[in-house]
Amino acid sequence: MSRISGTLKIAILAAILAAGAIMLLPPPAAAQEEVASAIRRYKDREASTGYYEEFEVRPRRGRPFVEVPGVRAGVFPYSPSAAQVRNRYRLADSHMGIAFYKEKTCQTCHPEQAKDIHTVRANLTCRQCHGGEPIASIQYFNSPMNPVRKHAYICAKCHEGASASFASYIVHEPAAGSAKARTGFPVLYYAYWFMLVLLVGTLAFFIPHSLLVGLRELFNKKRTTNNDAADAH
Amino acid sequence: MTLPTRIKRFSVLDRLSHVFLILTFLLQTATGFSRLYVTTVWGKKVNTLFGGYDTSLVIHEWTGMVMMVGFVLHSIYLLTRVDWRAPVKSIFGPDSLVPNLTDARQFGQRLRWFFGLGPLPGFNRWSYWEKFDYWAVYWGLPLLAVTGVMLMYPLSTSRFLPGWSLNIAALLHRAEAILAVTYIFIVHFFIGHLRPSSFPMNEAMFSGSVPMEEAIEEKPAWVQRLKEEGKLESARSAAPSLWYRRLYFMFGYAALIFGVYMLINGIMHARQISLH
Repeated sequence: MSRISGTLKIAILAAILAAGAIMLLPPPAAAQEEVASAIRRYKDREASTGYYEEFEVRPRRGRPFVEVPGVRAGVFPYSPSAAQVRNRYRLADSHMGIAFYKEKTCQTCHPEQAKDIHTVRANLTCRQCHGGEPIASIQYFNSPMNPVRKHAYICAKCHEGASASFASYIVHEPAAGSAKARTGFPVLYYAYWFMLVLLVGTLAFFIPHSLLVGLRELFNKKRTTNNDAADAH
Repeated sequence: MTLPTRIKRFSVLDRLSHVFLILTFLLQTATGFSRLYVTTVWGKKVNTLFGGYDTSLVIHEWTGMVMMVGFVLHSIYLLTRVDWRAPVKSIFGPDSLVPNLTDARQFGQRLRWFFGLGPLPGFNRWSYWEKFDYWAVYWGLPLLAVTGVMLMYPLSTSRFLPGWSLNIAALLHRAEAILAVTYIFIVHFFIGHLRPSSFPMNEAMFSGSVPMEEAIEEKPAWVQRLKEEGKLESARSAAPSLWYRRLYFMFGYAALIFGVYMLINGIMHARQISLH
């Protein structure tokens, strides 16, 4: 048996160490692909592979100003102090500085967020999507919930093959008829009111109509019923 | 030559379509409501009947597929019923279900009749509310089908539409289903069973024929037209046999009881759905 050379020994040791290092890495994402930059990596990939649709990520070109998504009021919508309070969209720990945070549950402050299909029907807990402490803001650059990778890191855990478009499904949708939906999700709001007016209108017309027919026939006529006519044969 | 004592009102195909619609509609109501109400005690019971939250969805989806096929076949059938040599006359004629100006006029007459201010309008083959009944289903089915297919294949849908369209689809599917269910189980059942001239059940859609005197009373213009066109004799129809009447009475009442049961429980548990 020939002696193992020193170089080979080092190589085997390096391989074991590398394997150990891989074991120590964070677990892989549900979809093993992330192409985050709209400018550089995505274009490279598109040019080199020729296919891109499945990995499409709509680039987010955030405005440099403090803002609440969907609300735009001038260049500086808020005073600097108001912005400090409101702008928790990009923090590594979105709950940073909240008093008695440890004593609270998610629903203490976010009761409305526990009324969607994912929570009520699929019995998901908050942390299954939002992760453990510290819970990063949605727009925090490294957050798995950041829209550039949410579909791959979060949605695809259950919805295999989820795309960025798929991830634009509003999980915590506002109550469809509410004022919040009117500003935040107008299509939902108007679809709701259209269907409600249609429902109420149809019933408000046809229930009195049927009742009037019934009353009028009840007091108006004496005619043989279907039964009598058929029995006569 | 004596007048026929009964005349034909619905063909066998019409009646089969109606029975098909009853069966699929009630199954969709049961499986759909069982999922909508799954957070309530009642909903959970119904849901268990259909094998739980996931299995009831499979039943719901397949029944929906069957309904879509039925809808397409029925639409093809409609096209064959148009007289293509004179399409406008045929589509807006008295045998067609397409609403026309006569319906508006008869609705006005009907309103006056409600308050004793005029005679009952002389309806032709279809009265305006029968036409509404028909078109309510005809527009409701495709809406439920499109939103239903979107929800069945959310990943494929999000390739063509933004993902938030699924929020809208879920809302429309639910709202249209509730509209259909309330309309059928309140208005349609009242007209078919409870109003004095129908009580205990309007048999025309099952037996396929109506007694002559009923036809003269309810659809005088139709009978008159059949007479003028010389079609009255060919519309002569035999009375349904006793066993067949027993059968459709049981079927009709089973459907009625089932629908009212669903509606009452649905209203009772509406506040416990715990979704937005």
